[in-house]
Amino acid sequence: MKFRLAIIAFAALAVPHASAQRIDSRDRPFMAAGLAEDIVEVKVNYSGSRIVLFATAPQPENETSGMAVALIGPMAPQKMIHRTAAGDQTIEFVAAPLVFAVGAEPQVAASVAPEVMIEAGLNAQASAMPRSTQLMSPDLSAWRAAFVDLKMEQGLYSFGDTTIERLDGGLRRAKITLPLNAPPGEYRIRAVSFRNGAPVGESEQVLTLVRSGLDATLFDLSRQHGFIYGFLAVLLGVSVGGIAAWFGRK
Amino acid sequence: MLIHLPIAQIAVDPLILIAIGGLVGFLSGLFGVGGGFLLTPLLIFYGVPAAVAVSTQANQVLATSIAGVSAHWRERQVDTKLGTLMLMGGLGGSTIGVGVFSLLKYFGVVDATIAVLYIVFLGVIGGLMAWESVGALGGTGGDPGRRTRLRVWMRSLPMKRRFPRSGLYISIIPPIGIGFFVGILAAVLGVGGGFILAPAMVYLLGVPTRVMVGTSLFQIIFLTAYVTFLQATFNGTVDLVLAGVLMVGGVIGARYGAMAGRKLKAAQLRLLLALLVLAIAGRLVYELYVAPTPEYRLEETT
Repeated sequence: MKFRLAIIAFAALAVPHASAQRIDSRDRPFMAAGLAEDIVEVKVNYSGSRIVLFATAPQPENETSGMAVALIGPMAPQKMIHRTAAGDQTIEFVAAPLVFAVGAEPQVAASVAPEVMIEAGLNAQASAMPRSTQLMSPDLSAWRAAFVDLKMEQGLYSFGDTTIERLDGGLRRAKITLPLNAPPGEYRIRAVSFRNGAPVGESEQVLTLVRSGLDATLFDLSRQHGFIYGFLAVLLGVSVGGIAAWFGRK
Repeated sequence: MLIHLPIAQIAVDPLILIAIGGLVGFLSGLFGVGGGFLLTPLLIFYGVPAAVAVSTQANQVLATSIAGVSAHWRERQVDTKLGTLMLMGGLGGSTIGVGVFSLLKYFGVVDATIAVLYIVFLGVIGGLMAWESVGALGGTGGDPGRRTRLRVWMRSLPMKRRFPRSGLYISIIPPIGIGFFVGILAAVLGVGGGFILAPAMVYLLGVPTRVMVGTSLFQIIFLTAYVTFLQATFNGTVDLVLAGVLMVGGVIGARYGAMAGRKLKAAQLRLLLALLVLAIAGRLVYELYVAPTPEYRLEETT
């Protein structure tokens, strides 16, 4: 089911900032932004959703000004195995986003260096956090790149589905696709505004994906009352099979 | 239209699942096998996490087996006495099999052992069945000859009982032993074991093919109910929405499978089952020795 997203209005203006120099994140001005909906319900008929974020870019703007947006979360430990001639090697990321969707306006993609994107928290390649003992591992970047590839295969990481439109008065509208297999949990939506290849404003919103209805009932039952759930599973099989047998006799 | 699966946490097309369930149900009704060895890879191929696919298929097979066995029951082609003996052996064997599985896991050879066991059993059983049934098709097309050297030896065993439905007078040791052996394999390989049990009943015990189908399904009902309960209770990996949708197609397919089975000669039925078993073995050989294995993989956290 497509969620009807109600547009929330806001009229806050960003703090003007004309400097082309890199600004420390502590001093980076807050960028006014808001989500159309901050809770998405997962029901039995859930088939993915589009998250809409509105944000105002800091003024003044020039030809390099633009915005990048990322949907990140929920964070969870992830274990990866690398098959080598010498045997299997394992790495455990203590925290890695299960979903990562990022999009940027063309001028941002062209003018912002990868390390700036990493610092801004918008680079999926640097999002998985290994154990402290493996932080300096020479293979870390290869592990992270493989992790991103595997997540892309699962449809949970995407780099081309997020669109950003320019509206009047420096307002931007970003549409981010929440994949249909996105796990419930808390997500962060980061929006960062860039000028001359440097971040000049940022904002972070929280989006919660919650189970609801039959989906939530069955999930909770399976986790909290396993015995009843097991009995229900057998009962379902016996009932459906019995009904089919009864109809077959007719 | 898509539906969201609460345990698998993915959205799927119910029509595709009904078609998958229908295909597997048809084969179940036709051959007297549960179909888990076919359903699990199909679900994984469709994107269902492996842990959920393995657990949920048992729940679907439970429903299709009940629907499939009913037709055979009415035609008095279910040997409950023989089925119960094999089930007793099967429950004992599966308990031992769980221990064997833990040992294999401890030594880190579980994946390779399972793959090789699958290939050996499927290849040998499928090959022998195909060889015999092709020969039988040239004759009457009925059941294999009743006087083989192995069966003569089996008849010398003590504790004989009559099995009127199968027309047998044999010792209870072989059915319990076969059930026990299949139980071990079922636990180690994670399947119901119908594809091993079915030919063993025909070739080793001499059960007529048509009674074998119903009796095999009879045993599968109890085994899958047991597995479903354990998986749902202790692992929470049975997806009731997925199982429910699969069952819709499965029970319809099972009815048509049983009807189609009645129109085929016993040898034709065995040849088709042999070809199916060989096809699965071929696919496993391809996956193990030909298909490229991924360099990196994520360990499932379901």
